[in-house]
Amino acid sequence: MTSSERLAAPLDVVAPPRKGFFAALAPGGGKMLFALVVAGTAFLFAFPVLWLLLTALRPASGVFYVHRGTEFTLHNFVEVLQQESVFHAFVNSFAIATFATILSLGVTVTSGYMLSRFRGPVPSGWFAIIYVLRCVPYISWVLPLFFVTRQLGIFDSYWGLLLPHVAVHVCFFSWIMKGFFDGIDPSMEYAALIDGCTRWGAFFRVAMPAAVPGLTALAILCWLYTWNEFLFALMLTSHKTPILTVVMAQFVHELGMEWHLMSATAILALIPALIVTIFGQKYVIKGLRV
Amino acid sequence: MFGERQRFMLLLIAPAAAALVFFQVVPILTGANASFRDWSLHDPQMTWVGLKHYIYVLTDPGFVWTVMPNTIFFMVVSVACSLVSGLALALLLNRNFPGRAVVQTILLLPLMVAPVVAAIMIRWMFNDQFGIVNAVLEAFGLPGQPWLAQRATAFSVILIADIWLWTPWFALLLLAGLQSLPREPFEAAAIDGASRWRVFRYLTVPMLRPVMVVCIVIRAIDAFRTFDIVWTISAGGPARSTELFSIYAYIEAFQAMNFARGSAAAMIGAAVIVVLAIIIFRVLNRWSEVSK
Amino acid sequence: MAEVILKNVGKAYGQVVAVRDFNLTIADQEFVVLVGPSGCGKSTTLRMVAGLEEITSGVIAIGGKVVNELPPKDRDIAMVFQNYALYQHMSVRDNLAFGLRNRKVPEAEIDKQIAHAVKMLGIEPLLERRPRQLSGGQQQRVALGRCLVRNPKLFLFDEPLSNLDAQLRSQMRMELKELRKRVPTTSIYVTHDQVEAMTLGDRIVVMKDGLVQQVGTPLDLYRRPANRFVAGFIGSPAMNFIEVTASATESEAMIGAPGLSLSFAGQKAALLRAHAGKTVVMGVRPQHLLLDGADAAGLVRFAATLSASEQLGDQQLLDLRVGGAPIRVAGIDPALSLADGTELHLSAMPENVHFFDAADGHVLT
Repeated sequence: MTSSERLAAPLDVVAPPRKGFFAALAPGGGKMLFALVVAGTAFLFAFPVLWLLLTALRPASGVFYVHRGTEFTLHNFVEVLQQESVFHAFVNSFAIATFATILSLGVTVTSGYMLSRFRGPVPSGWFAIIYVLRCVPYISWVLPLFFVTRQLGIFDSYWGLLLPHVAVHVCFFSWIMKGFFDGIDPSMEYAALIDGCTRWGAFFRVAMPAAVPGLTALAILCWLYTWNEFLFALMLTSHKTPILTVVMAQFVHELGMEWHLMSATAILALIPALIVTIFGQKYVIKGLRV
Repeated sequence: MFGERQRFMLLLIAPAAAALVFFQVVPILTGANASFRDWSLHDPQMTWVGLKHYIYVLTDPGFVWTVMPNTIFFMVVSVACSLVSGLALALLLNRNFPGRAVVQTILLLPLMVAPVVAAIMIRWMFNDQFGIVNAVLEAFGLPGQPWLAQRATAFSVILIADIWLWTPWFALLLLAGLQSLPREPFEAAAIDGASRWRVFRYLTVPMLRPVMVVCIVIRAIDAFRTFDIVWTISAGGPARSTELFSIYAYIEAFQAMNFARGSAAAMIGAAVIVVLAIIIFRVLNRWSEVSK
Repeated sequence: MAEVILKNVGKAYGQVVAVRDFNLTIADQEFVVLVGPSGCGKSTTLRMVAGLEEITSGVIAIGGKVVNELPPKDRDIAMVFQNYALYQHMSVRDNLAFGLRNRKVPEAEIDKQIAHAVKMLGIEPLLERRPRQLSGGQQQRVALGRCLVRNPKLFLFDEPLSNLDAQLRSQMRMELKELRKRVPTTSIYVTHDQVEAMTLGDRIVVMKDGLVQQVGTPLDLYRRPANRFVAGFIGSPAMNFIEVTASATESEAMIGAPGLSLSFAGQKAALLRAHAGKTVVMGVRPQHLLLDGADAAGLVRFAATLSASEQLGDQQLLDLRVGGAPIRVAGIDPALSLADGTELHLSAMPENVHFFDAADGHVLT
């Protein structure tokens, strides 16, 4: 037979393999199950936040039986935004989160670069120091920190909150930055050095641009973390520099639980975080690739 | 000794080191110093007492037999569960299905909420009179539980809170890891006839080990130090059953007004973490052959 | 019976067509090579046969059974990848055993198969090592071993030698040929290297831009290229091409170009007569041009000026110019010493001169 005759001969068609139990239940059964699982998981994760939203929409009287009441109101949001400390806290938290991110990244990127590109007693020592310091729990030094900021005269100010945050981030981010730079081929920097670049130049113009995806990912995580941070904000600020997380917690205290106001503030606080996450999640995933 | 290379190295870490010195080292040393002295906010004397506070803490049966086991148990269970559920979520988000971006954003909600707020919410949800959880249980005919009044259930609640908060973090990192795995070995496995389960067990998980090790070590250290969510939900109760060591230290320092003793407890905890971190790192390193 | 049939196979990614109307029948135990430049669709076609890409149109059948809907593992195939695709975290032994373990073959049987395969490939001492401890050649052998233990109906090779250095490549080519003699299995081999194609294939399929240009034995493709692309792709150094004008009078048929005028008789004359007045592309291989060939009748002769020469040790390559157009000649005596600018006389047998359409490149007959 010639080729063309071969091609015309009938061929056995093999039935595709059985697709499994759930597909047999109904056409698209497997997909249904998948969709159910996804929806269930999403619901489980969203639940506390949905609850938060629901509580924020209830008037003060309806808070105790949130799921049974029928009244809804937006008054909580209005009341909360009218309080000066809340508005002030919003601005402060936003500024702190943004500046802390910029400063932390700036300071830790050089630290991580050093850990990645060099070997010897200095890098090993540095790595050991930050590793150990990271392990010390906040409780033991947050009070002395309070005294230190008072001594330096930066208590209850932007710097008084920024610098401690930067210090804490050094320990965490240096390690991750090291990982980023480990994944970048050093031969580009050698080429730059041979081409007449200084070491700083090689770092700024060759290594850092390559690390941008990782930096972006870290920036987003850092911003979210600082926006929601509580302990330092509590200890190191007072009336002059209200911070959102502290203000929220103050609605719920021994003397009177204003759940509805706390929830309303929390929902408002969620909005910037939501925006940052929606725009940033793609970059975080891409940037964290090892 | 201080050649150009050395200078460059030191310059690179100079700003970080400065921040660390003033805002971590000095406070830690102050706290450590205080732990060796008698110092409460009433008595500014600050006499040196050596290891008195350390001995007190280490021989306190509450610390040794309740608080430490609680903390270790919390750390192990929280990290293990977050890892497993984070991996499940990462596998889920790795497939392409309609609405994936929305689902991903929803699953990241715990990362957007302030942990303190989340803790308050969860505490309220598990409230035995007004909480939604008991309401749902009763709607199904099951008895409502006094969640925060019993040991086992209270511990479960703080575990649930911690797992809820940290699963997305694991999911994000594991998803990034999944997406950076090379494609060809999986194609070869498809041709080699591996079922989905075998691919997962013999290919995906082993190749993800390096990422998992990093996640586990970081999270283990932080889980051990957890304070705010436990304090908010249960304050260490009932009857110290959910007391973690950071809460023990806090109570000693700020409620019993014995800052020195609290500081000593925290230092002991720090030592335990450092040792544990090294052990975990070594064990996992050998398991995954990650070289660092 | 492991005959492979591809019928009207096509692949499109949205608007972009990667493979178009691919038709081929591969006989049992035949070794077919798909060759072409990057992006010509050869890997895509291979991956469709493997089941790693969906088939947009057409039918693929292996051993008489249509496999369009079958997943790769049910097609009874084995594949060697360009970058080996070994399981990095498993030992070599586990790499080899993985496929058989998936199919629940008893361990004793697995050990037997592995022993047999490693002996053939000479990798016995490597069994307990990890892939990252092996050299490129060793890793590729392990990848081959992975195929051998499975004993499938069809072998697929996706540019397996491209990551190896030149010397290793030619050595592995020999080993592949040896292997073929001992384990004759239907095979489809993809490469961009025409030397590999010529030395390994029973038949070669030349592809370009998703279309099959020509299918034939190596000698067929060399002697009777179907179009200009195949003519220029197969054979090294590549064929010379010159644009000429065909003309014919009652008594003779000729081609003309600046500095060149050749007259043809017989079959070529008839060809030129049919295309008289048109521009055509004339092609002749460097190996078929003779320097001052014997004064035999029927040879076409012309003069060219030497512009450069390359010494290879066993032969010389000469770069000449005919009225400005470049011409290469191969197979020149390496001892011959010629000065640049010398005028040389070249001749060729008319059968070795090809004519191609100037517009679409198909061969003129």
